[in-house]
Amino acid sequence: MLGKLALAGIKNRRRDYLVLLVGLTMSAAIFYMFANLATNQAFIKANAVVSQAAIIFGFGAVLLILITIVYIMYANSFLLSMRQHDYGLFMMLGATRKRVGELVFLETLILGTLATAVGIVLGLLMSQFLVGLLLDMLGLHLAHLSAFYLPAVIATAVLYVGLFILASLFNLVRLTRTTVLKLLHTDEQANQPKIHPFRQMVSAVLGVLFLAIGYWALAAIKTLQVSAIPVALVTITIGTYLLFRATILVIIQGLRRTKWAKKHLNGFLLGQLNFRVYNYTRMLTIVSLLFAMALGAITVGSGYHRQLPMMANSLGTYTVAIHDKNAQEQKLIDQLNVKHQATYTQKRQGKVVYYNTAELKRQPFELNRGTTEAKYRTHPAYYSESLAKFKKSGSQSLDFLSLAIRSEQGFYAPQFLNAKQFAKQRGKTVTVTTVRVKSMNQDKAVLKHLNKLELQRFAQPSAMTVGNYQSFELMSAFFGGLEFMGYFLGIAFLAMLASCLMFKILSGAPGDKQRYQMLYKIGVRQNLMRHGIAKEIGILFLIPGIMGVIDVLFGLQMFKPLMQSPMSPYLGIGSIFAIFIGLYAIYYVITLLLYWRIVLPKAPAD
Amino acid sequence: MTTNTVVDVHDLEKTYGKANERQYQALKGLNFTVEAGEFVGIMGASGSGKTTLLNMLSTLDTPTKGDVVVNGHDVTKMRGNQLADFRAQEVGFIFQDFNLLESLTAEENIGLPLALKGTSSRVMDQAIHEVADTLSIADLLPKYPAELSGGQKQRIAAARAIVHHPAILMGDEPTGALDSTSARELLDLMTTINREQHMSVLLVTHDPFSASFCQRILFIKDGQIGSEIKRGEQDRSAFYQQILNELGTFNE
Ligand SMILES: Nc1ncnc2c1ncn2[C@@H]1O[C@H](COP(=O)(O)OP(=O)(O)OP(=O)(O)O)[C@@H](O)[C@H]1O
Ligand SMILES: [Mg+2]
Repeated sequence: MLGKLALAGIKNRRRDYLVLLVGLTMSAAIFYMFANLATNQAFIKANAVVSQAAIIFGFGAVLLILITIVYIMYANSFLLSMRQHDYGLFMMLGATRKRVGELVFLETLILGTLATAVGIVLGLLMSQFLVGLLLDMLGLHLAHLSAFYLPAVIATAVLYVGLFILASLFNLVRLTRTTVLKLLHTDEQANQPKIHPFRQMVSAVLGVLFLAIGYWALAAIKTLQVSAIPVALVTITIGTYLLFRATILVIIQGLRRTKWAKKHLNGFLLGQLNFRVYNYTRMLTIVSLLFAMALGAITVGSGYHRQLPMMANSLGTYTVAIHDKNAQEQKLIDQLNVKHQATYTQKRQGKVVYYNTAELKRQPFELNRGTTEAKYRTHPAYYSESLAKFKKSGSQSLDFLSLAIRSEQGFYAPQFLNAKQFAKQRGKTVTVTTVRVKSMNQDKAVLKHLNKLELQRFAQPSAMTVGNYQSFELMSAFFGGLEFMGYFLGIAFLAMLASCLMFKILSGAPGDKQRYQMLYKIGVRQNLMRHGIAKEIGILFLIPGIMGVIDVLFGLQMFKPLMQSPMSPYLGIGSIFAIFIGLYAIYYVITLLLYWRIVLPKAPAD
Repeated sequence: MTTNTVVDVHDLEKTYGKANERQYQALKGLNFTVEAGEFVGIMGASGSGKTTLLNMLSTLDTPTKGDVVVNGHDVTKMRGNQLADFRAQEVGFIFQDFNLLESLTAEENIGLPLALKGTSSRVMDQAIHEVADTLSIADLLPKYPAELSGGQKQRIAAARAIVHHPAILMGDEPTGALDSTSARELLDLMTTINREQHMSVLLVTHDPFSASFCQRILFIKDGQIGSEIKRGEQDRSAFYQQILNELGTFNE
């Protein structure tokens, strides 16, 4: 009987349950994808060329677990908030606590197990398609990646089901400890926090102090090494919490005394925020951290994505050098967005390669200041030298020498002959075409193909690179893992942070429903209520957003050692911030729409 | 006293349930008027349609048929924002369950109808303190609803209902959740408001004692006005007796 009643209760709120289930499923799927990457030994060994990558994967896994715990906590409180009125009613009708407790336990566990099972399947599918897609988009190749990896399935299942068992137990205790009356009227309790000026001041000062220590630790990662990260994590968390607690309430209560508060629904808005923000301090802190981590990770990922070509470009002048190009290669070259192109004839004999000065006069060899002078590293400056000068200096540049690679040991020594002598000179004739493209990212596919053909025909010592494209490929192999991690973790964190916020806010909806019903009765326009809700939720999204952005701006310091000049973690972050904030805004809109649907009173139908 | 009509209800019908569902006709052609400054009670058995009627008058629900004119506004022709504005400006409502916003102080609760109108804060403060003095609740203003007793809450609710000088004050069993002392205080308060501010009052109640504060009482039966009695020059206890007698015959 009670089971039937409970089912009916769930049916009534099936849409809210759907939101909850989708959120939990997504979380489990993301976790599986990550676990698949992080625990797959073959994959890690094949890709973790840089020692940091292994650490970062491990660190990412720990973060993800922590966040998953917090996430489930909030999802669970949303679940409880939806159900406790019903449970209270059952008890009032005479159901024993034990029976209701069983019901709560089962309900939570069934929901959780369902979400986990569906999530793992979804995670499998996503590993198969999404991860591949993401890698393709980034132009990366990660070896030994398979969608199904049993240890990852087990890890996900154990973690999630374990957490849900804990959550069920928590709900059980929570329900059996609270009185029936409280369960029935939880929505109506709104305690008003009091301000203690002295304590508030102290906590503000402490908050700033902790934040400063945290930011400093991140900047000093070179000296503190790995320990900088936990230090920063702890101090920034505490600092943010104290700062929120000290300032937000004072600001709100200050605003409540102004004239502005007496216009329209502003007073109501402030009143709502007043007791909300206080209860939300912990959640806002966590969300601001998540926000920072998500944004930071994506910024770093995209930083590598955009800056690797830049880094590569600072190493030389031409993108590719093609020897004795054939028709197929010419066709590929024609597809490139060429900025500069030159073809030279070589005669190779003994240890010497001869060049025709007439040819070099006609098309002087291009040099890049960025390879020698630090200030040109981010913005390469191309120039050429007079023939006399080139013979002395430019011809000894690595770029020029690499046009004629002799063996593992080195290059042919360049010599210059005038046209007549060159014609008479014996030796193997080779032509070499250098091409510099406008943007490597843009022509990546063609360059890849071209480079492959060149290497097939002219094998070169493996440690040696010719042209910026080869440097780029080499660096991609080193940093690609980091780039991928950045994007992946960033997206995962964003998804979870926003759902945390969403669940927390939505769990306040049943209480708000009554408040808006009251406003409706005393004649508040529907639009005014809509705007009021939009502002209220907007502020709850804004606070952690602002704090998160500040965290990231400081936190990126941490990546300075990993992104050495000409790369910089701060380069071009504007557009990434804009995209990220756009995604965050989408979450805001979804939350708002759900909230409106739950809370706004319906006008009577005609 | 002027003889302007504040409420004019004509042939009012309300049927619950959609055409294809099970229907129930709660009001079956109701007719009555309330003059400006009148204190009118509405009585009737449980389920007779009192709340339904009040919901029609206060535009919380729409009639199936008939006309409702409140202070010159044809309520049945209003839509959307007009309905909200009408509730905000023309009616003051006291609910059985207080309907105070617990996130606001008593003062902010009372000021809400004025804030909605966009009244300047100076005028608002003045108006709030005026009603607070009239209803002797000045000392309760800085408190939150959670810190108030039921009777105190209802007095704050009454203050909120009249702070913007609506054309009519309505109450649906406003004494329903109060003990007899608090109930009596509230009724005295409503009488004061009615007398001093010449505000029309419409009080729905099933309690003869509450009803004895009215000048005229309408009895609803089977969705129609069954009968009507007037207090005239009688004192309250005599009128109370008359109500009891009427209920006796009415319920037969
Ligand atoms: N939303 C609704 N849908 C269907 N029927 C309704 C609805 N609201 C009320 N009714 C019916 O209309 C009739 C009148 O209800 P109403 O609430 O007006 O009674 P009332 O006179 O206020 O009673 P009480 O003194 O118990 O408050 C009742 O029979 C009730 O069942
Ligand atoms: Mg009723």
